[in-house]
Formats: sequence, structure tokens, C-alpha cells
Amino acid sequence: MRRVQIAIPLLLVYLALSGNVTLPNLVVGALVALGVSSLLPVGNGAAFSWKRLPRFLWALIRYFFVVVTDILEGGLSTARLVLDPKLPIHPGIIALPAGSRTELGAALSAHAISLSPGELVVEMDDEGTLFVHCLDVQQSAQYAEAAQRLRRRLLREMFE
Amino acid sequence: MTLIAQSIALFFLVAGTAFSLIGIFGFLRLPDVYTRLHASGKVSVFGVVFLLIAAILLTPLSAWKGLLLIFFVLLAAPSVSHALASAAYKTGIPMARVERDDLKGKLEKSGEEG
Repeated sequence: MRRVQIAIPLLLVYLALSGNVTLPNLVVGALVALGVSSLLPVGNGAAFSWKRLPRFLWALIRYFFVVVTDILEGGLSTARLVLDPKLPIHPGIIALPAGSRTELGAALSAHAISLSPGELVVEMDDEGTLFVHCLDVQQSAQYAEAAQRLRRRLLREMFE
Repeated sequence: MTLIAQSIALFFLVAGTAFSLIGIFGFLRLPDVYTRLHASGKVSVFGVVFLLIAAILLTPLSAWKGLLLIFFVLLAAPSVSHALASAAYKTGIPMARVERDDLKGKLEKSGEEG
């Protein structure tokens, strides 16, 4: 049942991308969607329920804006660093708690860190600690924790 | 209307090209594989996204397809950066100018996962 739940949005994306809703295309799309969803591991995330949907969407929208700001800031600050003639980098790896117990939540959190300014996830251990490579260790150690707390709260509202 | 759309497209075109160039520049200047991934994984992705926005406005590429492409690029880029960084760390490629390494020694303990 979970697999069909995953397959339906996949089919919709397929139809949107190919841009024609004829019967043969629908059949091919359904087969591809089922094939892909049968390869995916069924996660241990919270089950879907209509009651949670508004809260989920609201958290998703806020999370989206947080991530977009992070992307813009990340691109600009890395670009500035690169163009600085002195190249003021202090690289290193710091440990950060992912703060999400579900696999999907932890993966999304790692994804968001990789997009945020000057940080890049290198490794993750079984307890959900993320090891993040930073261009500026002192600055990241100072700010990353607070930024991560905000993302963690939003992710928790969505998936737990 | 077309003039406005074209000016906006032009802005994104120039900005996208500039960021792509900065990404390459950073790739050449930064000292090791990890810091270089920051340049290619963030700045260059920025450039690609800007160029895609310009392409939506200037070429027959439909807006939905373009937005989906941007979404997929933003989804894939950090995963690629992470995969490369992780592989580099596991093969033992050293970091240049390292100031702190919380991961040091942790990998041997957890065994041969991944």
C-alpha cells in the first residue's frame, strides 16, 4: 500500500514532464512509477493522515523559505570567499546532531546543511550525528547549531 | 512586456555566467578536494539555476519543466557533493590547512559501513 502511495505522485510527475496524457503514455508511466517505487525502501516515517496535512504544508512552506535563503546566502558567501585575494578559509570538520529520528528527516536535514553557507556533509553515523565540512570552522561552529535547530524543528513538525 | 522579460532574462543570463565563472575560479584557487566541492557544489549550481531561469524566459522551454529542472538540480547537487566528499574521506585523501576534524578516528570505529 505504501508503494502505491509513492507511485501515484511519481506517475503525476512523469505525466507533467512528458506533457501528454494519452492512454499508452499513462500505461508506460504507471509501469515506470511502480518499478521505481518497488526499488525504494519503505521508510519508517510517520503514516500519512489528512488531519496532519495543513500543519505539514505550513511547515513545508516555512522550510522551503528557510532553505531558499540558505541557498542564496551559501552561493553568495562562497563566491565572496573565492574572490577574496587573501582566500580567508579555515577548513575543518565539525560534528552536528541531525536531530531527526526518521531516515527521511535526517536525509533532508543533511541536504539542507549541504546547501547552507560554507558547509558540506561528509559522513553520518548511526546515532544521527552529521559530520560537516566547513570553509570557516569558527564561524560555522558558532552559527550552524542555531540554524540547525530551526531546520530540525520544522522537519520534526513535518515528519514526526 | 517583452522588453521587461528580456531585461530580466539578460540579468539572469549575466549573473548565471558570472557565478559559473566564479565557481571555476574557486575550483582552481581552493587547496583540496573538500573545499573545491564547496565551489563546484554551491557557486556553480547557483550559476546553473540562474541560467535555467534565463532559459525559461528566453527559449521555448516551458516554465513548469524549467522549475522541475531547477528543483532536480537543487536536489541532486548536495547529494553529489556529499557522495564525493564521503568517498574522498574514506579513501583517505588529506585535507589541506585543516583546523579541526571531529570525524578523525570515528570511521575506523564504526567498521566497514558504506
